[in-house]
Amino acid sequence: MTVGQPVERVDGRAKVTGAARYAADRTLPGMLYCHLVMGTIARGRVTAVDTTAARAVPGVVEVFTHENAPRLTSEQHFMPLQGNQIHYNGQIVAITVATTLEQAQEAAELVRVTYAPETPKAVIADALAEVYLPANQEVIVGDPAAGLAAAEVTVKQNYSSPPHHHNPIEPHATVAQWDGDRLTVHETTQGVVNAQRTFATAFAIPQTNVRVLAPYLGGGFGCKSPVWPHSLLNAAIARQLGRPAKMVLARSQMYSIVSHRAEFWQQLTLGAKRDGTLTALVHVSTQQLSRTSENMYSHSISSRMLYACPNIHTRQQGVRLDVPTSRFMRSPQMASHFGLETALDELSYELGVDPVELRRRNYTDVNPTTGERFSSRFLLECYNLGADAFGWSRRNPKPGSTKDGHEFVGWGMATEAHDHSASPSSAMVRMAADGTVLSQTATQDIGTGTYTVFTQVVAEALGVPLNQVKVELADTNFPAAALSAGSGTIASVTGAVNAAASAVRTAVVQLAVSNPASPLHGLPAEQIITQHGYLFSPDRSRRESYRAVMARHGSPVQNTSTMTNARGYSTGAVFVEVRVDPRYGRVRVTRGVGAYDAGRVMNRKTARSQMIGGFTWGIGNALMEHTVLDRRTARVVNPNLSTYLLAVNADVPDIQAIFVDKPDPVSTALGARGFGETPITGVPAAIGNAIFHATGRRIRDLPFTQDKLLRELLTQ
Amino acid sequence: MTADSEFKRRTVLKAGSTAVTATFVATRTATPAAAAQTESSVDITLRVNGHDHRLAVEPRVTLLDALRERLDLTGTKKGCDRGECGACTVLADGRRIKSCLTLAVMRQNTEITTIEGLARGDRLHPLQEAFIRRDALQCGGCTPGQIMSGVACISEGHTRSADEIREWMSGNLCRCACYPNIVAAIQDAAK
Repeated sequence: MTVGQPVERVDGRAKVTGAARYAADRTLPGMLYCHLVMGTIARGRVTAVDTTAARAVPGVVEVFTHENAPRLTSEQHFMPLQGNQIHYNGQIVAITVATTLEQAQEAAELVRVTYAPETPKAVIADALAEVYLPANQEVIVGDPAAGLAAAEVTVKQNYSSPPHHHNPIEPHATVAQWDGDRLTVHETTQGVVNAQRTFATAFAIPQTNVRVLAPYLGGGFGCKSPVWPHSLLNAAIARQLGRPAKMVLARSQMYSIVSHRAEFWQQLTLGAKRDGTLTALVHVSTQQLSRTSENMYSHSISSRMLYACPNIHTRQQGVRLDVPTSRFMRSPQMASHFGLETALDELSYELGVDPVELRRRNYTDVNPTTGERFSSRFLLECYNLGADAFGWSRRNPKPGSTKDGHEFVGWGMATEAHDHSASPSSAMVRMAADGTVLSQTATQDIGTGTYTVFTQVVAEALGVPLNQVKVELADTNFPAAALSAGSGTIASVTGAVNAAASAVRTAVVQLAVSNPASPLHGLPAEQIITQHGYLFSPDRSRRESYRAVMARHGSPVQNTSTMTNARGYSTGAVFVEVRVDPRYGRVRVTRGVGAYDAGRVMNRKTARSQMIGGFTWGIGNALMEHTVLDRRTARVVNPNLSTYLLAVNADVPDIQAIFVDKPDPVSTALGARGFGETPITGVPAAIGNAIFHATGRRIRDLPFTQDKLLRELLTQ
Repeated sequence: MTADSEFKRRTVLKAGSTAVTATFVATRTATPAAAAQTESSVDITLRVNGHDHRLAVEPRVTLLDALRERLDLTGTKKGCDRGECGACTVLADGRRIKSCLTLAVMRQNTEITTIEGLARGDRLHPLQEAFIRRDALQCGGCTPGQIMSGVACISEGHTRSADEIREWMSGNLCRCACYPNIVAAIQDAAK
């Protein structure tokens, strides 16, 4: 058995030696460098672009503006440089092209743009009169008004969270090369198949004329899911100029053209009986939308799927602002989940019921919105495992009851939950005549461990050692497979990989038992055992290696399989300890424990790392991460990593990850469910709840920065 | 001897052991940028991973861009190009520096060690091995910088406790957030 084991990453060696080639690492003969010029107004139009000085820079080959840029259509997004309208600050207004990066950068500084500006609106607070309800964004179950009327205790509170930017360490990069009307792109993408379609549509060429590769991706977190317009423009420039072209975004450019998590306001109203059982849950939210898109991603799924409540009302409102288009960012349901899990903590204090016990009392095996039974749910086990490991039973519930020197110590918890996607996927497995195995599928490893898990799946299905298997990913020449987003890679593609490997096993076993030259000749195929690279008779008295069977056969055995899977919902419970220094309002997270039901765990090592990563994102969202928009200019004022603060090493304590590890019976991914986005969701609320436990002060606006906490601590 | 020079000597000695050969590599023209010389270009020699590289660069070219776009040494990553993320960390005479914040012309007569120069043939550096064993990487975008920084953190002696490692490794951001595993890997390799 190798699936489930803590196998080391098979791509680890390439990544620790610098041998792994990412998109930006590609250089091609004759390649040109493209650099973007970003607009400086948020609303209005471009009246003139002076490129004279830019064109005079030695090495500059061309400067594109809306007047001479290639005409393109984007299937998903507003396409810049097709006209003079400006819809957000930091929109692409010109592109310089030069022989070296430095020349292109210098030229970009010299492009002079003149605007006819209009007054923009940047934040929800400035456009409350324009809040509206987009289509299909309201769900009502039961009779929420009656549920609230029947409540013995009610909690009604407002919560809010700021825009966030994904900030993968690898900036977006694209390298395009044409050969006639055939295009090859090295693209930082979470989905080569989607990317292939987007490029083909933009250039009106057959999809088969486009090859997209992304064997390594330096983090995505959602902002590399679509192909953004700059990549299409880069490819168009390569075609027009007849030379390969490379474009790598500057960090600051990633704050306006590759999406963000929307600013989010929400109001939670919980009605409950004295024993804690919920009678009504009303969740009204408002998220920031752009002028060019009304897609919403911060969904209130938790309010609709997590707790037993007969009367539920979720209403997801939007407001269109002069900002870039928002999109999903790791754990899009986190924003709404923060409100729900904080409101439950507030309810627990109203009732005098322990927060874990309150959640146990509202546990359900049934989806409260649809009435359908979950295929498997071990959330109660998560509460028990997490609470035991953390020592929750020793908690004195009284706020401010624990002090250590100057610092208050607080313990908080929250449920964690996120759904995962699943889309039909195909995979190929081929055993060569020398017995080595190759698997290819056009999904991606964005750092989550796909290469490693699929190596384990193939090795186990065939019964061969891990080092006999090579997995190749993220090339549109391979069988089409899922986008690596929505926690969907393992859930979507594992089944196809396993089916293809199993079919190859069956075929090779058949080759052995049907050939008189094999020691296994004449045995029933279904009784053959495969292990360690060998085929054994049922009593293990006879055996033959895969290598020997394949050498005799003399040619490869190959199968391509396709599989679908159901979407799923992975849950858990997270417990945190914080220390608050009341003199400075400073919060440190000093301990974290999470227990999860993610179905079957495919690799304990990579799954644990996913949990640590999620928990750390939760710390960042709770304590520091926020994009600041200037309300006057609608411009991001902190578009860099020294002012958009992420959690650093010193912010992260020891974290313990616990897995129930029971297969989901309906999952075709060998019982695994998607998991990557679950372990962030509850952390901001758990930290806020721990701060309340430590200090008796409740902050309802993320992040819990020192200024906010100090203000609370100094009043009263 | 001042504390500073002592510190330098120790780091130089440790890093020096990774680069003792003195082979010479002819001017590279593997990349278009390397071929593109302008009037303001100057001829320089960079000593990287024990090899001398002659190249012509404009004075404004950073060490990072010289490594990546001219010498095709792309293991060193560009995350922010302004010294904030640490992905471009390399060793200069054994000390960790951010290669985006220094110019190539300023780094002649400097022994540069990049991630490509850490292993001895097929044998990985102990910290590279520890990174794999402890799963101290996910996407790999920050990993070369983390490892180079970690090698220096160890040679500086900033590994007396997990908290000390956390503090001295906080200049290298990891968005996948492998921090506890990075600390564990450095503890392993420091033994």
